Amino acid sequence: MHDDPRTNLLLSLADDELILGHRHSEWTGWAPHIEEDLAFSSIAQDEMAHARLLYELVGGDLDTLALGRKPEEYRNAVLCERPNGDWGYSVARQYLYDTADAVRLDALARSSWKEVADIVGVIRLEEKYHVDHAEAWFRRLATGLMEARQRFADGLSRALSDAVALFEPLPGEDELVKDGVLPESNEDLLARWLEQLGAALEEVSLDYVFEHHGPRGGEMVPTSSGEIEAESDELEVPGIVRRDGRWVHEGGFGGAGGRHGRHSEDFEPLWEEMTKLYRDHPGASW
Amino acid sequence: MKHVDELHAVELQVWEALARVRDPEIPPISITDLGIVERVSVTDSSVDVDLLPTFAGCPALDVIRKDVLGSVGEVAGNRQAAVRFVYSPPWTSDRITPAGREALRSYGLTPPSGSGPVFVPLAGLERRESGATCPFCGSDDTVLESAFGPTLCRSTHFCRACRNPFEAFKPKLQG
Repeated sequence: MHDDPRTNLLLSLADDELILGHRHSEWTGWAPHIEEDLAFSSIAQDEMAHARLLYELVGGDLDTLALGRKPEEYRNAVLCERPNGDWGYSVARQYLYDTADAVRLDALARSSWKEVADIVGVIRLEEKYHVDHAEAWFRRLATGLMEARQRFADGLSRALSDAVALFEPLPGEDELVKDGVLPESNEDLLARWLEQLGAALEEVSLDYVFEHHGPRGGEMVPTSSGEIEAESDELEVPGIVRRDGRWVHEGGFGGAGGRHGRHSEDFEPLWEEMTKLYRDHPGASW
Repeated sequence: MKHVDELHAVELQVWEALARVRDPEIPPISITDLGIVERVSVTDSSVDVDLLPTFAGCPALDVIRKDVLGSVGEVAGNRQAAVRFVYSPPWTSDRITPAGREALRSYGLTPPSGSGPVFVPLAGLERRESGATCPFCGSDDTVLESAFGPTLCRSTHFCRACRNPFEAFKPKLQG
């Protein structure tokens, strides 16, 4: 359906914002305290507005684009569709997403496609507040009491390989880079983000989440024949290795597929709910 | 020359009409003092107004568009009036005029801080010194409660001097 590389770029950016915005909005009324109800609700409202600006550049009816596509036509990264889980996961995901998004937006602000550069100029000014929110929680949980720190680290571990796949190469990316529409390749953007992320995690001694990924060794899990020790076989984020004291990406992705419309089992229930009104009442306005 | 004068006169009337349009979420401030009117263009057959959204997700935008069409329509004569939201340059909070800052204050809303290309980071988890002056007692002894508030453009604060909670218009600046 969307073979044009430029449309693919817009849809991947817009769908990330729409779908993660939808997840953020699920905290409305349920966050740990009222300031966080407001924070996640406001961030959701921003993200959906950013999606709208990008959909407007795609052209056509906005509701049809946002709500009228089949699940396999959405281009968001799998990270954005994962359920909120606990607070540790939600905040870890928001941190990973918004720091990665900032790297991508810094590049797109220099896009040769003027309309994209203009919109990104507006989006960046608003995203600063999201990054600030995520960093404040990062400091609070990473340097907090043992349970806070552990649950945040668990959240990072669970989200990390999906987050790396935010930089999965786009279909037709070579052309976008050649034309300066995407001033840097996703591989280069990923390298820059990993450098920043690695430094931030090392500062609070949480960089072990790069290696210690998946179930913790020694954790007991129930089975039909009683509790057994969990296998801790997946001990690294796919594609990420440490070289010369730095975390680098050497190819391959764990939670990839989103940019090609291949989603996880978590996407369809979200899509069902998000598009229900649109599908049940075609043409309804609100 | 007479023709140019006439178009210029209409353009002035359009600016006056725009100055009568209020921000529906902050009624004391006009959209001209808010600094969102980027361009007015008048021809024999049209009046075009370009507006800059303050925050992209502001739900007041549709109301503002309608109000602008109504107000400009009164002075446009037979000309076709149109409103467009544009994104270049991005709206920044230093576009608010001195009169606009006073209007915010009169509404109990602290005007945005920062006068240069400085971004004031906001997040209430650590109750930072907020840099916002209390709109009620004028004290600077205030803390930030949250970077988020009842609308996208507001943060929430607490004044340690007069012990009132208050809101501020968020700074949105380049750099």
